[in-house]
Amino acid sequence: MPRYGMVIDLKKCIGCYSCVVACKAEHNTPNGLFQTTVLEKELGRFPNSIRVFMPVLCNHCEEATCVDVCPTEATYKRDDGVVMIDFDKCIGCGACIEHCPYHARDFVVDDRTVFPDGKTVFVKPVYQKIPKKVALKCDFCFYRVEKGLLPACVEVCPTAARIFGDVEDTKSEVHELMEKYSAWTMLPDEGTKPQVYYIG
Amino acid sequence: MIQDRQHIRRGKDVWVPTVCAGCYNCCGVRVHRVNGKVVEVVGDPKASNSKGYICAKGICRALDLHHPSRVVKPLKRTNPEKGIGVDPKWAEISWEEALDTITEKLGKVREEDPRKLIISHFDISAYKPTIAFALAYGTVNFIWNRADYCGSASHPVWLITNGALNSEIDFEYCKYFILWGTQLGHVVNTIPLVSGHALAERRRQGAKLVVVDPFCSNAAAKADEWLPLKPGTDGALALAMLNIMVYELGIYDVDFLKHQTNGPYLVQPDGHYLRDEESGEPLVWDLSDGRAKPYDADDLKDPAIEGNYEVAGGSYRPAFHVLKDHLGQIDVDEMSRICTIPIERIRSITKEFCEAARIGSTIEIEGHKLPLRPAGIDFKRGAAAHKGGFNTCFAIHLINLLVGAIDVPGGQRGVNPQGPYWSAETGPDGLLVPSDVITKYNKPYPGRQAKIPEHLDLQELFPAALFTRGLYPWGIDNPEVFGIPYKPEVMLHSRSNLMLNSHNPHAMAETLKKLKFQVSMVMFIDETAEFADIILPDAHEFERWDIFPANDPYAFIAPGPGEWYWLMRQPVVEPPEGTRPFLEVYFELAERLGILDEMYQIGNDSWVIDEQYRFEKGKEYTIRDIAERQAKTILGPDFSWDRLQETSCMVSRKKTIEEAFPRMFFKSRVPIYLEYLLKHGKDVKAVTDELGLEWDFTPYSPVPVWIPCEAHADDEGYDLIVTNGKVPTHQFSVTTENLWIDEIAVRNPYTYSVMIHTSVAEKKGLETGDKVCVESRYGKVTGRLMVTELIHPECIGTCGTFGHWAKGMPISLNKGVSHNQLLPPPSLKRIDTLTGQIDTCIRAKIYKAGERDDA
Ligand code: SF4
Ligand code: SF4
Repeated sequence: MPRYGMVIDLKKCIGCYSCVVACKAEHNTPNGLFQTTVLEKELGRFPNSIRVFMPVLCNHCEEATCVDVCPTEATYKRDDGVVMIDFDKCIGCGACIEHCPYHARDFVVDDRTVFPDGKTVFVKPVYQKIPKKVALKCDFCFYRVEKGLLPACVEVCPTAARIFGDVEDTKSEVHELMEKYSAWTMLPDEGTKPQVYYIG
Repeated sequence: MIQDRQHIRRGKDVWVPTVCAGCYNCCGVRVHRVNGKVVEVVGDPKASNSKGYICAKGICRALDLHHPSRVVKPLKRTNPEKGIGVDPKWAEISWEEALDTITEKLGKVREEDPRKLIISHFDISAYKPTIAFALAYGTVNFIWNRADYCGSASHPVWLITNGALNSEIDFEYCKYFILWGTQLGHVVNTIPLVSGHALAERRRQGAKLVVVDPFCSNAAAKADEWLPLKPGTDGALALAMLNIMVYELGIYDVDFLKHQTNGPYLVQPDGHYLRDEESGEPLVWDLSDGRAKPYDADDLKDPAIEGNYEVAGGSYRPAFHVLKDHLGQIDVDEMSRICTIPIERIRSITKEFCEAARIGSTIEIEGHKLPLRPAGIDFKRGAAAHKGGFNTCFAIHLINLLVGAIDVPGGQRGVNPQGPYWSAETGPDGLLVPSDVITKYNKPYPGRQAKIPEHLDLQELFPAALFTRGLYPWGIDNPEVFGIPYKPEVMLHSRSNLMLNSHNPHAMAETLKKLKFQVSMVMFIDETAEFADIILPDAHEFERWDIFPANDPYAFIAPGPGEWYWLMRQPVVEPPEGTRPFLEVYFELAERLGILDEMYQIGNDSWVIDEQYRFEKGKEYTIRDIAERQAKTILGPDFSWDRLQETSCMVSRKKTIEEAFPRMFFKSRVPIYLEYLLKHGKDVKAVTDELGLEWDFTPYSPVPVWIPCEAHADDEGYDLIVTNGKVPTHQFSVTTENLWIDEIAVRNPYTYSVMIHTSVAEKKGLETGDKVCVESRYGKVTGRLMVTELIHPECIGTCGTFGHWAKGMPISLNKGVSHNQLLPPPSLKRIDTLTGQIDTCIRAKIYKAGERDDA
């Protein structure tokens, strides 16, 4: 059984937001909601200031706080490492949203992709329709992965800054990159053991 | 009626390959249609220009088709008064009535003087047929759009040196990239996805990236060194670098200068070449036998590029020597002070670049031994859109030229000056001229004869320019000043929001009002369409055929090695009831006006149509029919529509090395000394004197000079210079009405903001989130403030072309700002008088404007 994870190469990422929109389109997330985004940060003082693009998504933690706090087991971890939300079981209590140290989760108030007229709704075929009043986050496009495809954000990234694969397979590209560039994770002190790694 | 509806692919759930129009790059995409509706767009792995990638804009193209604000019925204005905020009182009319009215108007004007018609759009896939329409109709006024705000000053520089319309850097071999006022490789510029991939890969492997920009753009964010210069001072920085190269480092490619440039041409004291009395050819001094001889003499061995040489009693210096002397006059400390980049930093970058170019090194590719120059500079709008735009661009490009890093592996390169059916030529004095296919009538070199203008864009006053489209308002407002013998009356307008992308909208409103009859073919009623007399509902790019190829192969397809590829746009769905693709309307109008035959005949000569596929007189051809003939011409007679099942990208063959790296295969030389400008300057002077016009001849210099912008002079109270940059998620105002793009733009800290540096904000008592007014002497905009360390302290930064106010654009309404609104209409002090480039540098003040916006 593989253990899926993602490596994000910050040296390569150019902040183009293709991944953000590809994810939005793949899941047709409701207005204003995203399952991945790119954070921007400024460091230093002019003229030595730098601008950093930081793609973020659910970290699919090994020790996932969200799984621990979910009262209905709607949030669970699959054997392949993907942290999932079962929309049928989710009661929208928001515990996971509050406890995720990475703010990777959102609450769905309105489930539509609707134009400003308030009526015209954009619909498209999706793996599963996102309902109202549930928690929402990245699912690593598990249904694409099961078919041998890459997650939408990985496939679209023009700079190949997002690399997906089996982090435990020592021959995988993700593993190699993690070793070669001494990958790090976000907020390691939280003890959550994220499976999204950063290099660069 | 000339239309192609019957050829749309059938099926309930299908993927249709076609071509994106989210920007001018025309990436190959696959569009998913379910139950007759477009539901998603993905990259096409078989498309050579996108390789399966797609940008945010491209993915979002799926939404605009469904936008409830789309115009779906022809409309006519019932309120004769036009103006910003004036309700046109639209009334729905039938297509029949709309086309009857337009035909009648066009027919009448054509009889009076066809030049009274202006064609305006910015759709690169539609240039060829609309120009044919204009020519058949008899007008010279095509095509008004905003291209001038961008490339008027830079395109001529590439055309005279690369023989190409656009520029890039060789991503495969380059190890030292300088992006100067451009974000090539960051999904903002040409061939965005392939170059984005390649540049990131090179950086990963250790290539160095330097970015010159007052704002820390996406590209600057990835740079090893960001050079945040003061806006519009690019010329000063380039001249300082040139001086350092030639005098402090003494690094330049002598061999290249001798044999590939006009560096050896002997120059007289008045700046003109010394010519052979008999042949009239420029003379060079051959060091091997100590004689002067024509530059192309068979026995020429070792032309001198430095020294003084006695010829027939006079003493002459080679052009390179003249250039070198000129560069010797440059005060590098003064230039450093002007551009605000410390002199030591300029020195170290120059040294690194020159050393990285590895002068003398060679590489063998496919049996050809070629120079290897793994360092290159690409420059675009940031450097070009200034008063001294041409001189600045030429100065920057001279850095490439002096190290021989042009159209050889590793260096700067033109976008496909050589192709399967076009080829750069050798022009007067042995210098390079672009192919007729790239530009037939408007070659900047050798240029044209200056005359009293007939065109409303005043191009006759700019004989060494490529196009001067940004000057239309100047000509429309003042035809008599320029000796134009008619007044424009009618405009066919589509896909270019002139109100937002030019200058102060109140001034533009007056210009538009002078056109008594305006037809706007649009999907949304934007600020320009609000001035229309008739609105025709346009189609989305997924609802139309286009002529072939969708992208000009010498402009927007990847240069360098690889393959020749061609993109075909086909419809995925029918246009909604009541709408029609604007090109189709052009053909219909041509038919009604009785000029359709003529249009096809013009097409026979300019649309790449082989002899056997020429259009016959008296027959009708749809856009698809035209595309088929073009495809058969380019791809061969066995082209069939089946090829379009799988991909919209058609590969004809691999590029040859001669096409990929043409410099060493060209017989022509590259100018490093622009002697031809002396004659053009004199000619323009004669015309402007005749017209009694004041004019500026500073740019007509054979060697590059530093020309400051109006904004560089102090102006009390207006303490900052406003600058404008592109973002990867938006293209002009094409993308502003997109639901998803807007959602990501809102979340980005910079896209919709007005930016100033922390120190400036502190002084003015301003904070991030404040609602601020930016005011120039010519206009003002209000926006949300973002205080940042990522901008030059003498600047106010803005992004994109935003700030819509039209009711027909509900998503983009009041989001972001349009920097152009701060500019005045074109005038002598704010244009490059050599190329017609608009100076976009503008002084302004910034102050609080009411309540904070904490969104
Ligand atoms: S698509 Fe790739 S380069 Fe673009 S923002 Fe996402 S991770 Fe970065
Ligand atoms: S780069 Fe331009 S043409 Fe390519 S997908 Fe993006 S918007 Fe479309």
